[in-house]
Amino acid sequence: MDARRLPIANQIRRLRFEHGEMTQSELAEKIGMTRQTVAAVEAGKYSPSLEAAFRIAHVFGATLDEVFQWQE
Amino acid sequence: MSFREKSAWITLVTVLVCFGAYFGAIATGLVSARGFDTLHLLLTCVVGLVLLQVVLTVIAAITTPKDGRAPRDERETLIQLRSQSLGYSVLVLLVLALFIPGHLGHTVIDMMNFALLDVVLAVLTVAVAQIVMFRRGA
Repeated sequence: MDARRLPIANQIRRLRFEHGEMTQSELAEKIGMTRQTVAAVEAGKYSPSLEAAFRIAHVFGATLDEVFQWQE
Repeated sequence: MSFREKSAWITLVTVLVCFGAYFGAIATGLVSARGFDTLHLLLTCVVGLVLLQVVLTVIAAITTPKDGRAPRDERETLIQLRSQSLGYSVLVLLVLALFIPGHLGHTVIDMMNFALLDVVLAVLTVAVAQIVMFRRGA
């Protein structure tokens, strides 16, 4: 694992694909973030706040642990 | 590239150019560090800095797609806070270091230029830290 990568995996890319190939920009607009931040979250380089994590999960109609998983 | 990252680049480049010219002219003896020449040069550099930043910021805003001009989000706020915290630490250290030239008998004008250099270096630190964090993702 990349030393800088956070120990939190996410399924955002897959969920975007499953939701009509939603773009990062579209997701960003829905949750009130920039596309760059969505890209950073998706790449595991930035850990979003709890509120942002819930917003992301809400967009996909998923629970938090369906979107984010803790990795030891 | 987001508008905020472009802004950081604009700050870095304009401050380097304008204050590089100012301190370069003083260091090379192109202008006297004691006369009104320095004040005129400083005013010219500050006005040049403001004009350059305004023009480049307008260009950056026009050329950045809509998704790059969204309101500042939590990651960008975090980057701003971290970079300003680092810049503050650098500024404190450099201001404390002013005691060194102060005890070496430098003039008031020299000391003002050292203090100005401290501020410029702190601003550059903030800009570089922001760029690095934007590039790294957070």
